[in-house]
Amino acid sequence: MTGSSVTDTFPTPTIAPLGDAALLVRFGTALTDSANRAAIALVALLQRAPVPGVVEVAPSLVSVLLRYDPLTAAAADIAAELRLRLYALAAAAPPPGREWTIPIRFDGPDFDSVADALKLRPAAFIAAHNGAPLRVLATGFAPGFVYCGLHAEALVLPRRTEVRPMVPAGTVLFAAGQTAITATELPTGWHVIGSTEFKNFDPAAEPPTQLSPGDRVSFTAAP
Amino acid sequence: MSAIITITRAGPLTTVQDAGRFGQLRHGISASGPMDGVAYRLAGALAGADHGGIEITMAGIGLRLQSGQCRVGLAGGRFDARHNGVMLDWPGAVSLAAGDELTVMPGTAGNYGYLRFDGAPVLPAVMGSLATSSRARLGGLEGRPLQVSDVLELADAAGPAPQAVTARLAETGPIRFVWGLHADLFTSPVRQRFVTTPFVISRQLDRMGVRLTDAGGVFADATILSLASDAIVPGDIQILGDGTPIVLMRDHQPTGGYLRIGTIISADLDRFAQLRPGTDIAFSSVSVVHAQQILRSQSP
Repeated sequence: MTGSSVTDTFPTPTIAPLGDAALLVRFGTALTDSANRAAIALVALLQRAPVPGVVEVAPSLVSVLLRYDPLTAAAADIAAELRLRLYALAAAAPPPGREWTIPIRFDGPDFDSVADALKLRPAAFIAAHNGAPLRVLATGFAPGFVYCGLHAEALVLPRRTEVRPMVPAGTVLFAAGQTAITATELPTGWHVIGSTEFKNFDPAAEPPTQLSPGDRVSFTAAP
Repeated sequence: MSAIITITRAGPLTTVQDAGRFGQLRHGISASGPMDGVAYRLAGALAGADHGGIEITMAGIGLRLQSGQCRVGLAGGRFDARHNGVMLDWPGAVSLAAGDELTVMPGTAGNYGYLRFDGAPVLPAVMGSLATSSRARLGGLEGRPLQVSDVLELADAAGPAPQAVTARLAETGPIRFVWGLHADLFTSPVRQRFVTTPFVISRQLDRMGVRLTDAGGVFADATILSLASDAIVPGDIQILGDGTPIVLMRDHQPTGGYLRIGTIISADLDRFAQLRPGTDIAFSSVSVVHAQQILRSQSP
């Protein structure tokens, strides 16, 4: 299926089938600020103007998944409806998003090496890290996991070369211009810079996670 | 009448499943649900099942009905099932009375079988579903596989009348797929070899994914590209950085950044899940429209 140009501010999306029961709208293949804002805006638009036949909409960093029932809906019909909405994306109001304040203890094993690599003293790194609110870029990598970003260019570090086999829920991760928070145990190749009491996953709650893409997060240093 | 079951033997990764926990991808939870949905539904029809049931793996299961009575539907692969020592048809159904033993031993084909009951398992729904997620460790019984001595309560029978359905003859032939998100990032010769070279189901398979042995070296020259993670769907054929192809299954990771050359069609994913380690497979590409026609032709 072909892409359609929608806007000067958002990258041109492509619509591709993902198997025979889903379509993926991609605003790029690498994480950029505008591609991420476009994905978030599309999800908000699809909430206001749902595409008939779509049973689930799930955003990622620069793409949006639309799942449909292949017994009752045709990919071409969904793509056509989707294109109509993509034309309106540029003019759509950005989703309001919620404001969050999350205290972090900067006590992770990689904290010092990260500050060193950025040529910052520990206090200066914390100040720079917490200096501006970040956007929740995406959820969905693991239960309650959130990516927040994007940090300024001066705070961009690549991932570690080695994967840590397991870090606990509430671990604060840092890499690739982002700060991420785990809500379950998982292995990670990101730098572990701290921890938080903030819990973003409760399977008994409705909804089970609190942070949504497009929300704004202010980090503070926990005492 | 309700019933109490005690597990007397459990193969690894015996889990409670239902149709699946859909709609939770944005929260980081893939849907889970039966690895072989066709067999799960067949077992349900044979039992006159309410929702939910037990998914067994190759080693089988043993259980005793402690009290009450229930009807059990059995389907999926080929297992050797006995009721108090008497051989049962597979697929088939049996009514159990208090004190009865049901034994399911490894059979000649398949990785997964299903035991479904006329009363639903009495377990707390997590995010709307009983399905056990081996990845998120939730659902089912405390989010874990069933073990020896586990006790499962079944509610009063509330399903539809049982049906004397027979298993549809399993489709054979190549596993059909639609070209994937990143198909255009593979060279044309690699795409060509992907559909002309046999792969083998490896021993590394579970509810999350099935690794394939690429004896023909189709992906020997794989390179790692830095891609932002996109959503994954069951059946995605992902090529790891070392060139290993892995088909992502019902407990798949919700998102991934490795290259995906294709996605196995919905109509063939159940059959694929049942292929045992060592089985040769060939892939054959179809269009999305064709994939959906095949699925509709299979649906009752």
